Amino acid sequence: MKTVLVDAQGKVTPAGSKSHIAYRFFVPNAADRLGVHFTYGPKYLEDQEKAKLLIEQGIEAYFEAEYLEQAKARWQSYLPLQNLITVSVDAPDGHRGAAHRHDREQLHVLSRHEATPGLAQGEIIPGMWEVTLSLHAIVTDVCDYTLKVWLEEEGTR
Amino acid sequence: MKWVACELHTHTFHSDGRQSLAELAAGAKNLGFDCIALTDHNTMTGLAGKEVIERETGLSIISGMEWTTFFGHMVTIGLDEFLDWRPVGPGDIHAGLSRVHERGGLAGMAHPFRAGSPMCTGCYWEFEISDWNDIDYIEVWSTTFAPVKNNNIRAFRLWTEKLNEGYRIAATSGRDWHHQDPTDDPLSVTYLQLEEGDAPITAKVVGALSASRASVTLGPLLNLEVTSRGTNYGIGSAVPGGRASGSTFVAAVSADFQVRKGHWKLEDQRYTLKLDSNKGILAEEIITSDAPRLEAEIPDEDLLWIRAELWGMVKGVRTIIAFTNAVYFD
Ligand SMILES: [Zn+2]
Ligand SMILES: [Zn+2]
Repeated sequence: MKTVLVDAQGKVTPAGSKSHIAYRFFVPNAADRLGVHFTYGPKYLEDQEKAKLLIEQGIEAYFEAEYLEQAKARWQSYLPLQNLITVSVDAPDGHRGAAHRHDREQLHVLSRHEATPGLAQGEIIPGMWEVTLSLHAIVTDVCDYTLKVWLEEEGTR
Repeated sequence: MKWVACELHTHTFHSDGRQSLAELAAGAKNLGFDCIALTDHNTMTGLAGKEVIERETGLSIISGMEWTTFFGHMVTIGLDEFLDWRPVGPGDIHAGLSRVHERGGLAGMAHPFRAGSPMCTGCYWEFEISDWNDIDYIEVWSTTFAPVKNNNIRAFRLWTEKLNEGYRIAATSGRDWHHQDPTDDPLSVTYLQLEEGDAPITAKVVGALSASRASVTLGPLLNLEVTSRGTNYGIGSAVPGGRASGSTFVAAVSADFQVRKGHWKLEDQRYTLKLDSNKGILAEEIITSDAPRLEAEIPDEDLLWIRAELWGMVKGVRTIIAFTNAVYFD
């Protein structure tokens, strides 16, 4: 049996860079498995003019004056600019890990016996759980995401 | 005490690396390392099964995590539990550092001047530091062929500035090693001088790094020893105060070209060994790998720290090749 706990869609913009979106949900009973499916997109900023502008702004902030021109001449070495949103999971009894990677579609599974890389295996206990989306960078005008969280019982995969 | 070849900044597929811990450990072993710290981004699950891998490879694996925040990347080592980076804002890093230190860990600034967001999210250090005593180490050499890169030269300068201000901060290298693709670039090694005895390896590594018993290199291992009033002081130690004015001390620098033999190569050449300090270069000597030594008598005046540096040609570029951490003066 599969019980959906979170089924959400959202839109974020560059203003949301460096912020977290937390989904807090109630797991009513111990379960065999918790599933998390997360997608976001677009992944890349395709607009080259806009990318150039963002990179040049970054170079202004991160380089010393004497290297600014040299760095700006190589702005294309920083392409493509991309959105980065990472997923982390917290159980009522503590942190269960994070998946800090660039995949735009991620399927995570947690159970007593297994967990996808970055997440820790452990009992799916009742209580308030949390899935956090960490918006490291949003470079496109709009970035859409979907998040689904569900419980599974043995033999239903 | 014993010098141990370490790689202190690595990743697996538990974050954004393209390697398992077993593959990473085998790669490190093949390159002549004795010890690595696994510093995955914001997770420690990659450490599962590390004891088996340690037994199979003979490599020591230290637990760690790279706090991959929006405002800077901070490598932490020596902790066996996850510490939450998410509540930390740009003005809060000291709260985070306290949590690391309370649990016996150490924290270092990772690649502090790498270009940051949106090119590399959070890679440029933006945290406000109000007390530099809380910073245990600065990763002054990041990635491969590190010493020629502008961001590393700037990080090395930051370290020197902090030493000049009287802070006792260690300097390290970190490959930020994500995969096993081959490279011809020179690789950095951070040698840590570990105490002998039965203490756990993590405690020894934390002890060495927190005392700046470190020497960083693209090849030869540099050592520095100060003799003052008949007593020897090694890298990371402090020559006690109360010294008579007008006195001198002897600084001895040596380079071991036999370490990790076969894993690195430098063209035959005349190198320069330097003794650097808060008062500038104190001594300088042209050497070869056959007689890699420098000994100098130094006036004991207004010194806060000294360190040794080896300079020479690497891939057609004149660069610093190795440096020791400091000997301090109370
Ligand atoms: Zn980093
Ligand atoms: Zn890293």
